[in-house]
Amino acid sequence: MSIWATLRIAIKALYANKMRTILTMLGIIIGVASVITMVSIGQGVSKSVESNIASLGTNLLTISPSTLKSGGVYQSGMSVQTLTVSDCDAIGDECPLIAYASPMVRRNMQVVCGNQNWNTVVYGVSYNYGNIRNWEVDQGEFLSDQDVKGSAKVCVIGTTVAENLFAGESPIGQVIRVQKVPFRVVGVLQEKGTGMGGDQDDCIMVPYTTALSRISRMKYIQSIVCSIANEDETEDAISEITALLRQRHRLQDNDEDDFTIRSQADIAETMAQTTGMLTLFLSAIAFISLLVGGIGIMNIMLVSVTERIREIGIRMALGARGSDVLRQFLFESMALSLLGGTIGIISGIILSRIAAHFMNMQTVVSLEAIAISFIFSAGVGVFFGFYPAWQASKLDPIEALRHE
Amino acid sequence: MKEKKKVIEVKSLEKIYDSGEVRVHALRGVSLSVEEGDLVAIMGPSGSGKSTFMNILGCLDKLSKGEYFLDGHNVSKMSKDELADIRNDLIGFVFQGFNLLSRTSALENVQLPLLYSREKSYSAAERDELAKKSLDAVGLSGRYYHMPNQISGGQQQRVAIARALIKNPAMILADEPTGNLDSRTSVEIMNIFQTMNRTKGITVVLVTHSNEIAEYADRVIVFKDGRVIEDRRNEHPLNAAEVLKNMPLPEDD
Repeated sequence: MSIWATLRIAIKALYANKMRTILTMLGIIIGVASVITMVSIGQGVSKSVESNIASLGTNLLTISPSTLKSGGVYQSGMSVQTLTVSDCDAIGDECPLIAYASPMVRRNMQVVCGNQNWNTVVYGVSYNYGNIRNWEVDQGEFLSDQDVKGSAKVCVIGTTVAENLFAGESPIGQVIRVQKVPFRVVGVLQEKGTGMGGDQDDCIMVPYTTALSRISRMKYIQSIVCSIANEDETEDAISEITALLRQRHRLQDNDEDDFTIRSQADIAETMAQTTGMLTLFLSAIAFISLLVGGIGIMNIMLVSVTERIREIGIRMALGARGSDVLRQFLFESMALSLLGGTIGIISGIILSRIAAHFMNMQTVVSLEAIAISFIFSAGVGVFFGFYPAWQASKLDPIEALRHE
Repeated sequence: MKEKKKVIEVKSLEKIYDSGEVRVHALRGVSLSVEEGDLVAIMGPSGSGKSTFMNILGCLDKLSKGEYFLDGHNVSKMSKDELADIRNDLIGFVFQGFNLLSRTSALENVQLPLLYSREKSYSAAERDELAKKSLDAVGLSGRYYHMPNQISGGQQQRVAIARALIKNPAMILADEPTGNLDSRTSVEIMNIFQTMNRTKGITVVLVTHSNEIAEYADRVIVFKDGRVIEDRRNEHPLNAAEVLKNMPLPEDD
């Protein structure tokens, strides 16, 4: 029997039981559509995370004091807060691979201006922090060398802070009180939008010298942020800094580092792993629903075989071999799952568009996901259709003909 | 008179159903042959083994002992698939319950044997043409696209006969073909069998328990307890066409 004739019989049988066919296909449609939607959401999240990280700059290095204490006992005389301003200066001066280095202290704080107040993050940084982050100033100017050296009570604010405290007025020259210390606004940063770690425009930059003496009253800085002159030399830059800091902190060869250097690439990798897990998790759930759809197909095919035992008997009496019957039912379940798979792919693409629109996020419908779910749905048809079809092909023609 | 070709030849045929606990000896040594162009009626009470014999003749069941030659092929040793091919090539079945596929037009029902043909594959156009010819031959020219539930029992049986004839089989095997039909329609069906038999020389073997139907056959074989107890020739078989002429027409016609 020709493949075309078999296919025609299969489609006719499916058409004869429209309602049942649609309900059975629904399982596959939902399965395939959810695989495609979930994978596209997962990949969309990964992609937006990746681009966010890229927008932060991939040439950033953050050096923070090591908080590693597990099992180890700290020797006397050593402090957890190990980074100093002179460490930062040394990195800036002595490491040729580093373009800029700035100390950083950061704190969440309530800031007040007249009768307005706002809760934001206050960063104590050096005058070159703008260069490190590639930040532009929209109005006024960034902190200057003199501001830092003279512990000036000046600040540069992000647009969110400007909007909330000054509501349309020009903030330049206005005074913001941070812990009762008045800071004069000298500049407003260009808007950067929402990204990793929330609103990037919700911040206030003050000279770190002022932050240390007036706000946090500490000698130690929380971290050092630096930018690498050439992105390709990240590894070399890290070892350069490591060597320098070990020497400055007088660490013995067998001592652990008392600081941690994290590059933006590390963070990107961690995030990629997390979002990869997310994608995997979502697709696992979706695959389960595809599996359930497959079991639905098997169920219906078993019913269909039982219902059509007499038909099978007639076909066998007229010369159908067991293999002809097997093929007929296998084609039927494959047609069922392929048709369901195709509709599922289309609805999956539409669903992920809708998700992208309403959840205000990026979704990536990948060809791989489409190909995999299409092949998988065909596989489901063969796999779950085989047992019922095989049962049909093993029927005894006489028994089948007598079946009522 | 020259020796006619033997379509069926069975030698000491035995069939034992062994279901583990019970052994049923359905056929206890049957030997007979049917010549080409014969119209044979097989009779016998239920449990006589005639149905088992039919199933074996129709290559639907395997025999336990003995030999069976169908149109010169030794069927006794054939596998399931080979039997399926033999059924397709050499046998046309007509059943008591018509056994047409529901929701399938007369034309498509008649085409079924062509779909499973292995020696030759038929195009859709060829299939349609042959099926129409076959339906025309049983007087159903206007019923190509009717579904089985849209036509009468007699017409359904004619569709089944058209299906049995489509591949020009060596024989037609009819199992109680008139069992579900009224007497006039039964004679009409017998008329078709007789016409096919007389004009085209097609061998017909039919199982019946009606003596009236057996009157139309050239030869009557009677089974009892798994054996042939009577095998006689009808010197003057009834002519269905003539019987029809003398029958009153149905009232609603």
